[in-house]
Amino acid sequence: MIRPAEPRSAGLQGFQHKLLVAMMLVVSAVAVGLYLAQRRVNADGRREFEREFQGEVAALHAVQEVRHAMLAERCRALARRPRIHAALEDNAPDLLYPSARDELADVMDGGEDAARAPATFALHARFYRFLDGTGAVLTPPAAADVGALRPADQAALALPGLPTAPQLGYLFRAAGTARESVDEIFALPIVSTETGEVIAAIVLGFKPIDLGATVGGADIRTGLWVGGRLRLPGLGAAAHAELAGRLTAELADPGRPDNRLEVAIDGQPYLLFYSRLNPGSQFPPAFEIGLSPLEGLLARQRALEWKFIGAALVLLIGALGASQWLSTRLSAPVEQLAVAAEENRAQRQRAEDALDTTSQELQRSARFSADASHQLKTPVTVLRAGLEELLAAEKFSPEVREEIAALVHQTFRLTNVIEDLLLLSRMDAGRVQLAFGAVNLRRLIDAALDDLSALPDNLNLAVETDLPPVLTIAGEERYTGLIVQNLLENARKYNCAGGRIRLAARAEEDWIILTIGNTGRPIPAAAQAHIFERFHRGTAGEDVPGHGLGLNLASELARLHGGALRLARSDEQWTEFEVRLRVAPAVPLAVSSFP
Amino acid sequence: MKLRRAAALLGLGLASLGFARGQAVIEGQVTLARSHSAAVVNKRYAIVAKGGVLAPDPPVAVVYLEGSFAPPAALPTAQMAQKDLAFVPGLLAVQRGTRVEFPNLDDTYHNIFSYSAAKRFDLGRYRSDERPIPSQVFDVAGLVTLRCDIHEHMRALILVLDTPFFVLSEPSGHYRLSGLPAGHYLLKVWLSSQTTLARPIDLAPGSAVEANFP
Repeated sequence: MIRPAEPRSAGLQGFQHKLLVAMMLVVSAVAVGLYLAQRRVNADGRREFEREFQGEVAALHAVQEVRHAMLAERCRALARRPRIHAALEDNAPDLLYPSARDELADVMDGGEDAARAPATFALHARFYRFLDGTGAVLTPPAAADVGALRPADQAALALPGLPTAPQLGYLFRAAGTARESVDEIFALPIVSTETGEVIAAIVLGFKPIDLGATVGGADIRTGLWVGGRLRLPGLGAAAHAELAGRLTAELADPGRPDNRLEVAIDGQPYLLFYSRLNPGSQFPPAFEIGLSPLEGLLARQRALEWKFIGAALVLLIGALGASQWLSTRLSAPVEQLAVAAEENRAQRQRAEDALDTTSQELQRSARFSADASHQLKTPVTVLRAGLEELLAAEKFSPEVREEIAALVHQTFRLTNVIEDLLLLSRMDAGRVQLAFGAVNLRRLIDAALDDLSALPDNLNLAVETDLPPVLTIAGEERYTGLIVQNLLENARKYNCAGGRIRLAARAEEDWIILTIGNTGRPIPAAAQAHIFERFHRGTAGEDVPGHGLGLNLASELARLHGGALRLARSDEQWTEFEVRLRVAPAVPLAVSSFP
Repeated sequence: MKLRRAAALLGLGLASLGFARGQAVIEGQVTLARSHSAAVVNKRYAIVAKGGVLAPDPPVAVVYLEGSFAPPAALPTAQMAQKDLAFVPGLLAVQRGTRVEFPNLDDTYHNIFSYSAAKRFDLGRYRSDERPIPSQVFDVAGLVTLRCDIHEHMRALILVLDTPFFVLSEPSGHYRLSGLPAGHYLLKVWLSSQTTLARPIDLAPGSAVEANFP
């Protein structure tokens, strides 16, 4: 990593985020699926539980109905008894209860029969009463024979009118007291054999099926709700009252949707079913109550829920891990790409920055060089003109004249330097374009050597050449010549007394390799890297005239020619530069070069 | 009709004979309700209840003379049997103080009882070999409804009359009361538990009176 650059991490993180979001979407979908499945399983379990529960309650209800049918048949037989009819039809009300006493002797509870009868299937009546033509209770002469009832309880047996069909009801006796008990009451119409009309009714009270017994193995408790009163043994007083209130409110609603209710008893959830025991009866509506704890079911459902949640969590964690792994896996190449691209970009940026800086510096320096050259050229010309004028004057001694001549010579040197600088600055600014043509390098070299021989030779140098007769390169003669001049001048300047200069050229594929070597002190290794830099001069050349532009200029010009200048060798014996220039293409350039 | 008229004239003739001995005769025709049930062999007077009214079926009327008569020295014993799960006869008219026997001619138990105000009794269960034959003395005038506690459909009526002069009409409605002492009386016709017609009647010694109802 180069540096924590925002765009890179943002892009990569975006990719990872997208991947993560996609994975999370999949996980969410699976989680939703799991949730729905769990809900469905729960609902199924609940339905199953309710079906089981309702089955138990229905079974109990069926038993009740069979029992009711038996009781009804028994009562119906009673209602046909001739003595009872005789008492009613033959206008002998005083004989009604006495007759019934005899007729019902085997029906009534008490004596040995009661001891023998199974508790849950008591078909023995606890009491009976007759209703007169208006449905009011005919008061019995002796309560002992007909089963004792408190006046309020007896009054509760009355009906708003005589029934035409058997009526089932429930009577809460001694309600609210410790001796509270419930009777199942049947009212049977007594139809006159003379008129065919209902002339009276007999109401019998039976011991109901044992309440509170748990049914089956389902831990179902059963109870009874009659006219706002609840009988559900084994329930605390507060819970009992609360449940009764809840049921009363529920049953008072005629539009209640179904026959079940969820209730909390002592903080425990219960499912409650109720079914009307006496539909259509003239007696107050009575409901059979089935109560089953939901705790087991809820516990099972909770366990299931936890399993599902666990599965979902495992899935989620797995998916997270997978998405992380996948994103890492997928994003690794992308990241690498991004890093590489970033590195590239950074490098490019740096290079561009550097280039920019360099370019600016170059521009600046080129501008400076150009400015400087132009500013200098004029004074130098003026200076030279002044000196030549002095030289032309007759009044100076030969010594002075020689001095002036040397000064004039220096102005030429100065001009050369200025022109070199001007050329370099133009090259730096990219304003030098070579008009390529075929250049006769051999002729150039010969001219340069000729110039060299014309110079004063203090060192007594020997010049050797090893040149093929024809050397044609692609370039512009003016600048190619500058390369050769500069190199030759260097070879002369940095030579030692009695030293040698050697020029050699050879063709090498498309290249002409020109080497210019000389004896003299070597260029130190540390300086070798910098010899082509501008204004660099060898450390050993303090006493050597020059301005440190020659090699730089030659190198730049070689580059302009599409070739290169390099230091081939520099040791105690020999220092040699090598210029590589392109061979001129065969005809066209030659033609253009030599019109 | 001719024959009936002839018989009536003959009756009147016989009544004149009685009149000769100081006894009057009442003869006449009672319009009876039409029978509702088809004729059945062995079924004699059964009691039917229609709208709370008990009446014999086929219809028959009891015609009797109401007045003050000297109590009888001795009365014959009447019988109302139970045969084929029915009372035979279904309607019995007796003079007050008459003992009525209830022989059981069936192979099963019967339990004759009555809750009627005129006579409340309960004979209990007995079979045909019960001896003496269970009986009751009916010493209050009025209509007694008999029932069997075992067979709820069985029903019979005993009309206890405070007069020795009574007769059951023929199925046709014709009746004849003879041997009547002269005097001022109330001639009554019992048709059902709810309907008893009455008309005052003066009987001259040996007279023959024709009285038709209604």
